[in-house]
Formats: sequence, C-alpha cells, structure tokens
Amino acid sequence: MTRSSGLISRRRLLASAAVAAGGVATGGLLSACNAGSSGGSGGKGNLTVMIGVQDLPKEMIADFEKKNPGIKITLLQHDATRLNAMLASGNPPDISVAGAVGSANVNARGLATDLTPYLEKSRVLKKDDLLPVNDSFRWDGSRSGRGAYYGVVKDWSQDATLWYNTALFDRAKVPYLSDTQPTSYDDLLAVAKRLTVKSGGTTKVFGLGLEWAWNLIAPMTMMVLQQGEQLYNDDLTEVDFTTAAARRAFGWYVEFARAGVGPTSLNPLPDVSDQSTFSAKRMAITQDGYWFGGNFVEDTALRDSIRMAPAPVMGDKRISPCYSGQGLWIPAKSKHKDEAWKFMEYYLAGEPAETRAKSGWGLPSLKPLLPKLPQTLPYQKQAYTVAQNELRYAGALPDSPYITLDAWNAVIDKSLQRAIKNEQTVDAACAALTREANKLLKQGKEQVS
Amino acid sequence: MAHRKWSRYPRAPFYLFVSPWVLGFLALTAVPLAYAFVISLTNFDGSSPRWRWVGFRNYVELFGDGSAWAALIRTIAYTALAVPLSVAGSLGLATLLNRRLKAVGLWRTIFFLPSVVPVVATAILWKLVLNRDAGILNTLLGAVGIDRISWLGDPAAFYSLILLTLWGLGGGMVIMLAALQGVPPELEEAAIVDGAGRWRVFRHVTLPMISPVVFFQIATGVIASLQIIVQPLLLAETNNISTIAAVPESTHVYMVQVYEEYFLRNRFGYGSAMLWVFFLVILVFTLLVQRSTRSWVYYEVDGDADR
Repeated sequence: MTRSSGLISRRRLLASAAVAAGGVATGGLLSACNAGSSGGSGGKGNLTVMIGVQDLPKEMIADFEKKNPGIKITLLQHDATRLNAMLASGNPPDISVAGAVGSANVNARGLATDLTPYLEKSRVLKKDDLLPVNDSFRWDGSRSGRGAYYGVVKDWSQDATLWYNTALFDRAKVPYLSDTQPTSYDDLLAVAKRLTVKSGGTTKVFGLGLEWAWNLIAPMTMMVLQQGEQLYNDDLTEVDFTTAAARRAFGWYVEFARAGVGPTSLNPLPDVSDQSTFSAKRMAITQDGYWFGGNFVEDTALRDSIRMAPAPVMGDKRISPCYSGQGLWIPAKSKHKDEAWKFMEYYLAGEPAETRAKSGWGLPSLKPLLPKLPQTLPYQKQAYTVAQNELRYAGALPDSPYITLDAWNAVIDKSLQRAIKNEQTVDAACAALTREANKLLKQGKEQVS
Repeated sequence: MAHRKWSRYPRAPFYLFVSPWVLGFLALTAVPLAYAFVISLTNFDGSSPRWRWVGFRNYVELFGDGSAWAALIRTIAYTALAVPLSVAGSLGLATLLNRRLKAVGLWRTIFFLPSVVPVVATAILWKLVLNRDAGILNTLLGAVGIDRISWLGDPAAFYSLILLTLWGLGGGMVIMLAALQGVPPELEEAAIVDGAGRWRVFRHVTLPMISPVVFFQIATGVIASLQIIVQPLLLAETNNISTIAAVPESTHVYMVQVYEEYFLRNRFGYGSAMLWVFFLVILVFTLLVQRSTRSWVYYEVDGDADR
C-alpha cells in the first residue's frame, strides 16, 4: 500500500492499533497513577456513611437530617473489602466505622483525616471529655497512643470479660465465677470441659466460646502481657511467639480446640458469632465485653440467669484490655469533612450516644456519659459492678502500623490449625508463626515507610 | 475464504465494524493489563497516596516466595486432575446419551441442569452435603460404620473441589454431544464392516473426528482451571477470621494467594506482579496445548475452499 486511499493496509492497521492502545493505556495509566484524585460521594451535602446497618436505623437518619437541613445521608453496610475498593478508587465514604485498636495501619498509610482541629473547636464533642480508650485512635507519625486524633470511639468494652449462663452451671453442678477475682485460663478450660455436653458426636452445649472468628491476636497479646512479657519488640517491627509466655498462650488455644469445648475455625458456628448459640442456651460461657449484656434487655427467658465475670488471667499481671473499640473516622479523601464532623458530633455526643449508653451496648467513650449506664435489671446491676471494678485493670494493647488485623488473624489461625491437627507441634507452629508474622511485618514496614 | 489481500478491504467500514471489539479490548483488557504491569513496579497498597517505584523487586521477591510456588504447583495439580476428568467425563456422558434411549431428552436435561446452576448455589449445596457434622454424606457413611470425614478441611478439601468441578460436566457434555452427532455415521459403519469392534471404532474413527472439539474443551478447561478462585473461597468453612474465608491449604490455589495479597495484605504491587507472571504461565500452558494439536487433532480440509 503506497498511497493514501480508502483501502486498508496491514501496516496502517497495526500502526493505528498501536497508537490507539498507547493512547488509551497512557491515559489510563496517568489517571491510575493519580488514583484517588477524583470522584466524590455525590452532590453537595450528601453524606455517605459506612457503618453496620443495625447501628444507624432509619429513624436516626431521619432525626439527623431534620436537625441538619441540607445534609442527606446515604447508608452503606460496612464491608472491609468494599471499603478497600472505595479507598482504592479515590471515592471513599465520608465516614467509616473501624476499631480504634488496629487503626495504626490505616493512620500510617495516611488514609484518615486528623480530627484534632475539629475536637478543639467543637462545643459538643470535646477533647477533654474523651476517655483514654480514644488514645488508640491517636497517631504521632510513628506509633499509636499519642499525637493527633484520627477517630473517636462510639462505644467500647474490656473484651476479655466473660458472660455465663447460671442455669447451665447449675445443671453441671459447677460453682459460679467470681464477680471480682479473675479465673485463670487453665481453670477456665477445666470448667469449660465440665460444662460441655456432647451427644452422638455432636455438641449439645459448648462450655466456652471465645469469639474465635473475630480476633486472635488481641487475646494472645493480652495473655503474653499478663505473664509480664511482650509479644512485640520496641518499635513493633517484629514479634516472637517462641518465648515461653507466647508458647503458653498459643498452646492454650490449641488445647481449647482439641478439647472440643467451643467453636473454632475448624468447627465454626454458622453465624460466626457466639451470641445466637449463647441465647439458645447452647453455650455456657462466652468471652465478650460489657456490650454483650445489651442483647438481653428484652430476653426475659435468659436475663435472669446470666452474669458477667472478670477477664481471665494467664499470669500474675491482671490486665483487661479493649480489643477493638469501634468508632468513626473520616477518610482523608472525603469530600464532605465538615458535614461528616457534624454527623460525628450528633452520633458520638448527641442523643444516639446517650441512648447507646443507657442501653448498655458497651461503655461510652465520653466521660459525661458514664453515669448513664443501665442498672435497672438485676443482671445489669451485676454487670455494672463487675465492669466498674474491671476498669481498674484496663490496659492498651500494642498496635503495629505494619500489619492489618485481618492479616494477623489469618496467619495466627492457619498456624493454630496446623497445631490443632497435629501437623506441627506447638513449638514448631510458634516458630513458623514467628517467621510468617515477621515476614508480614517486614513487608508492611516497607509498604508504609 | 482464500488469501485476500488486505488492500481489497475498504478502510472505513472495516474500522467501523471492528471498533466495538477493539475499543472493548483496549478498555477492558489492554489498559488493565498495562495498568497492572505499572502497579507491579510499585509498592502501592491500593489506597494510600504514599507509594513509590520499586522496579522489578516484586518479581524478584515472587521468584523466592515458597508459598506462591506451592500454590502454583497445587493449581497445576488441580488442573492436571480436573481437566482430564472433566473432558473424559463429559465425553463419556455424551457417548452414553448419544443413542436412542427412552426419554433421552429428559436424561440430557437432568445431566445438563447442574451446569446452569450458579456456582454460589452449587457451592452452598455441596457445603451442606459435605458438612462434617450435619452433612448427608457423612450421615450415609456413618450408617455403614465409617467415621466422620472433614470433607471441607485438609486434605479432603482438594477432592471436594474436584467433585464440585465435576458436578458441572453438563456444559461440556452438550458440546461433546453436538460433536458426536456431527460424525458421519457412514464412516463408523464402514469401520464396522471392515471388522472393527466398538472400542476400535470409537478410538480410530469417532475420536479423531471430534478431536477439534476435544481440543477446545481441553484448552478452555486448562485456562479456566488454572484461574480457579471462586470455588475454593466458597467451599471454605466460613469463619470470618478475616475478610477472606480460611481456605484449607490443599485448596489454597494461586489465585486465592493473589486475592489474599490484594485484599488481606493490601499488596497491590506484589499481587499485580503475581498476576503478570501467572498470565505468562497460562500463556505457556495454552501454547503447549496448542502445539500438541499437531499430533492428535484431525481437521477436515475443505477441498472446495480455493475454488
């Protein structure tokens, strides 16, 4: 083909294709390399809130919109994968829910908005009213616990505390747990074995639920701290599961699973939560925080036979930490930060916060709301007393910015499974876990440094 | 169509007619591929503005990553087992149903139905069947004195995944059936007249005649099997220990590992490098299958083509 005619030539076709591909690819890449520079959460005053649907009922949305004309709320059910995708596309929600413990990774990656200026100006949600649990949302550029605030806790609990069904204790002729003195983990397992009821290869009553599906790193870290040891090194870049204290903690979980006294990832509950099984009177003890009591206000069949007990201990040091502390944060790329803050004021310090405190769904994160905790029903009074006593032993867990909680729990769970199934000894599993976790931490450090 | 010169095609209609595909290819294949390659040269975590170029470091790390290699070997093992079984199974079923039976249409429908059921529904069904404590399979085995087996845990999960794959044989069966019905009966009859038995007729007449379809099934089967991801994730016992179901080691295939790198560890750069390497692996496997056709695929040549 030598002249420009209306006919196609192979060379021209290939050249055109290359130019088109190059053009489109370059355009795509230029925008890709600038990921997150565009987009938004909708029109002016349209606030996208990503939270559990049960935590933001329609009435509450209507109330907020009535009190804040011009702001419309779009509710998204919280989903970690969806949140990641939205963050990746540069079009995040304006507010998202997250645990304060575990926020270090998000903060180190520069994904959250510094809320300190808002806190300093606000007459509703004031810095001076924040309880220490909010410190887990703080980040100073290298570690959490100090520096600017990147989130505010909505409610929290000391999550290692226990709730138990006295009727099942009575049936198994097991004495009740103390309201003030913590049981040891070894005794707790022994009690769980006595409470477990099996029949024909299936478990009729679980002795103990650990909410295995939710968190493994926090309880294990707590167990190590209770023995006066540390899981992490000073700068949170490495862990060591081969110490005697860590092996003991890991080994306890292995023994728990092998004893078959409670759900594990190898024998999970269908709804990945202890609550329904406990409510069905098929679980004698569950390890859940103060918030768990909120489930039983209307449950007349169960509320007269439930009690709360202090967090168990593995060593001599009594520590009862918060594993998570769910709260709200504003993504750095939110297009409606001021409106988002208005919502935070309403939700965390307004009527919803007061209602939550009165209901007993966790401890409030603001000092003025503490007296609002319920003490009407007998079980609420008992739980209130236990919780007040437990507050004396509150402690913060280390939160490495170099690893996500999801990654932590997945790597621990896989190591536990290998040990539970006797594919590895506890010592070998702990050594492997140390290697795998440190590899993740190293990768994470490289990623955020 | 004989070899027409390119210059005999008018340019405008040509571009007009190919443009939908070309644009689709560029937007949905070429650009994402190029984007993934660029990302693979960074330490991008999917959302943080703090990323930087790392050159080919992700690729270097990948070649030393034992878990990625193990996942790749597992994937190849799955493919090596699933594809022959699927092809042989669908061919066997098609052969059985390519005869004059009573209610043959009904039988064909029954065998085809599972392949049109969405994979999620199929996985839920098999999770119920294979559940260790309440599954019907262990209940039946228990009735004859066999202990409960953890079908969804290691090491049985691998075979459960194969079983789930074979449950969808109906789609391949229909294609094979069409191929079998395209074999001229006079060829088979001639072989029978020459004294060939059923097996020899099948082996030397039927099979060569349908070999292009068998090749198609193998090629697409290899590509699909290597890329398997949804079924292992769905078959895993849900435990919410992370946003990703805890996939047993025996079904922890390459794409599951990629998924974890992206969404569990937020390593978009490394995950993209894994995908690019995998793209090349699949390309090599496909070329090997393609190359092997010279020795076993029989294409009828249309003698009238050049007239």
